[in-house]
Amino acid sequence: MKTGVYFCNCGTNISDRIDSEKVRERLESSGLMSYFTTCPFLCSEEGKQFLEQDLLAQQPDRIVIAACSPREHESTFMRVMGQAGMNPFLMQMVNIREQIAWVTTDPDKALRKTALAIKAALKRVQLHEILEKQELEASPAVLVIGAGPAGLRAALSLAEAGRKVTLVEKSPVIGGLPVMFEDLFPNMECGPCMLEPLMGEILHGEQSPNIEILTMAQVDGVAGYFGNFVVKVRQRPRYVDSHQCIGCGECFEPCPVSGPNSYNCGLDEKKAIAFTFMGALPNAPYIDPALCTRFTQGSDCTLCSAACPMGEGVVAYDDQEQILERQVGAIIIATGATLYDCTRLPNLGYGRLAGVRTSFELERLLASNGPTGGQLLRADTEPPASVVFIHCVGSLDDDHQPYCSGICCQYAFKYNHLLESRLPDAKIHHLYREIVSPGKEEYALHQAARHNPHATFTRYGAISDLTVTDEGGRQQVRLSDGAAIDADLVVLCPAVVPNADAGRLGELLDVSLDRFGFFEELHGRMDSSRSKLRGIYLAGACQAPADIQRATNQAMAASGFILSELVEGRKIELDPLFASVYPERCSGCKVCQKVCPYGATSFDDENNVSLVNAVLCHGCGTCVAACPLGAIKANHFTNDMILAEIEGVLK
Amino acid sequence: MSIPTEQANAASPMAAEFEPRIIGFLCNWCSYAGADKAGSSQSPYPPNVNTVKVMCTGRIDPEFILQAFKMGADGVIVLACHPGDCHYKEGNLRAAQRYAMLTRILKQMGIARERCRFDYVSAGEGDKYVQVITDMVETVRHLGPLTL
Repeated sequence: MKTGVYFCNCGTNISDRIDSEKVRERLESSGLMSYFTTCPFLCSEEGKQFLEQDLLAQQPDRIVIAACSPREHESTFMRVMGQAGMNPFLMQMVNIREQIAWVTTDPDKALRKTALAIKAALKRVQLHEILEKQELEASPAVLVIGAGPAGLRAALSLAEAGRKVTLVEKSPVIGGLPVMFEDLFPNMECGPCMLEPLMGEILHGEQSPNIEILTMAQVDGVAGYFGNFVVKVRQRPRYVDSHQCIGCGECFEPCPVSGPNSYNCGLDEKKAIAFTFMGALPNAPYIDPALCTRFTQGSDCTLCSAACPMGEGVVAYDDQEQILERQVGAIIIATGATLYDCTRLPNLGYGRLAGVRTSFELERLLASNGPTGGQLLRADTEPPASVVFIHCVGSLDDDHQPYCSGICCQYAFKYNHLLESRLPDAKIHHLYREIVSPGKEEYALHQAARHNPHATFTRYGAISDLTVTDEGGRQQVRLSDGAAIDADLVVLCPAVVPNADAGRLGELLDVSLDRFGFFEELHGRMDSSRSKLRGIYLAGACQAPADIQRATNQAMAASGFILSELVEGRKIELDPLFASVYPERCSGCKVCQKVCPYGATSFDDENNVSLVNAVLCHGCGTCVAACPLGAIKANHFTNDMILAEIEGVLK
Repeated sequence: MSIPTEQANAASPMAAEFEPRIIGFLCNWCSYAGADKAGSSQSPYPPNVNTVKVMCTGRIDPEFILQAFKMGADGVIVLACHPGDCHYKEGNLRAAQRYAMLTRILKQMGIARERCRFDYVSAGEGDKYVQVITDMVETVRHLGPLTL
């Protein structure tokens, strides 16, 4: 085997400490080296040209490059090897600059260490194998889970790039939470108005043929991997043909039954056939089988269908649940978040006292399409004279959620602003643990609240110091120093927490959750819109508490990643550093499945052997070390290669 | 059965001249980068550790460490990413588990536990790398050559 050593002097960075001639002398007796060449600057243009020409002239079987850190120029030299027609994996690099020349003061010791390190590389490189990048066909289509601002933004952007998008939404409407908020911080912009152009474009715009919207649907199964996911979607029946329905609402009136309206937090009632709220998109009602007598009592009521001006068949009582299968190359999770359960803080009286509401309930109470048409009234129909906002409920608290949710101060000040005009005489009290209001626009609402003569601000130490009680039909909020505030309305601003079904979805997709239950990002700062599983991306509050700006930015980041990583018409290149199983050695113990952090190992029941999926494998080698029978091979990091390197140093 | 334990032989006249041979397993993402960082800040440290790069410390089969001792290493050091920083989520924690298991085997073989060290060095911790390597070399120098 012809093996060459290329020794780079790196100007004088290496040659100042290590004399290449002496290294050559020491290695000559090893019998492992066919030739030794010293170069002044191997990474320079001249150096690279020299290397290419020399490789073509020498035609070595293997090479060792002793130079800087492989983190610096390994890929540079691998490219040169490729240009010279040599497989780039037939090289081993030795870091004699960062790890020897720059840190060893005694030249004799530096020389000895260098010779050992190159000898180890020479032993190792003999065992290197030709590795080729594999290519796989991939579907350019994308599945987006969740039709809130993040999911909508991603779906439209990907469709504009010509991608087929399937948008799965569990509720009957698109738009997420902000579509139910009539005033948004920081500019008091109307939520539905802000989202309408985006939703309109998705439903009826030029790109709408590229976007399939599946409302009342959830992902029920995922198989495959980046480029080739097969997703099972379960869609509940709507009982209304949304393509034929014109959304006139004539069917509501004759419907004989009604029940609590969950979209208004149960604060009012809705008919068994209804819109989720006025203005909801898609503009078609749905039948709630938990209310409709056809389903609850087996009646043959057809009053809604009879009232439909579009005729029979638009209300479709025989609509069935559907299981749909879609092939996609990438998946974006944009399932949003929810609010902390305030009943876990019993001292605040939520669920027990009529005047204690969550911020979300206040949002609906203030909405013109809400349960009171936007009127804020006490039980005795008088407007509230005193409103207390309790900030940081369940946030910044090790007994609940230790983090700051980041959005609550903003909406509390938004309410402050709204109440100023709607209840000009009402006293407003803000009880807070911390006030957080960063951003170039966000200060305005905060300042307005501070300058409101009716508003007071009081800092509390811990949420457990506060007690809310009922005092003759009004609420009283007591602080730790004994001070008490009478309140007609107490509004809790709860922590933003992961959705209850995040765990289920995480398991289905094999995407890990962080310690709070949010979907875990690949890297908190550099890669927050990619999950740790290749091909699955994150956008919005499913990854961390987020406002609309952050959510849509992340959606664009995820879309950008997809457009650059899953290019239409281009195959997916696989890094050859993956693991593979020697089936004849595998005993089927499945230890590899327990240790793989990426779900890349699976089990072939028929042949009783484990398999490693090269697309999902990240090449860490944890399974290789865990396998009790040595039945898994890590490309380029085989046991033999590593042991040869150790032997080269020691023997 | 009593387990033979090594006695430090610093008192022997050889100890001062003894140059330990140590294998250092570094992961590609954190500790190898930490070693490079020590290099770019040109902080000198003893040259007794020859490094073997692996993609992740989770790749390190305890057998590699036993083989290193068998082939004549006086010490072995494994440097991983800090908990929570692993490029592959949790390979460093697997390595820590395996290390805990291995120390029991080493004890049974009569190899002083100080000869095999596990620590965490991040990509930014060039200073820590220098300190950990220096400390390891001096510890093993103090113990003297390993005879199996």
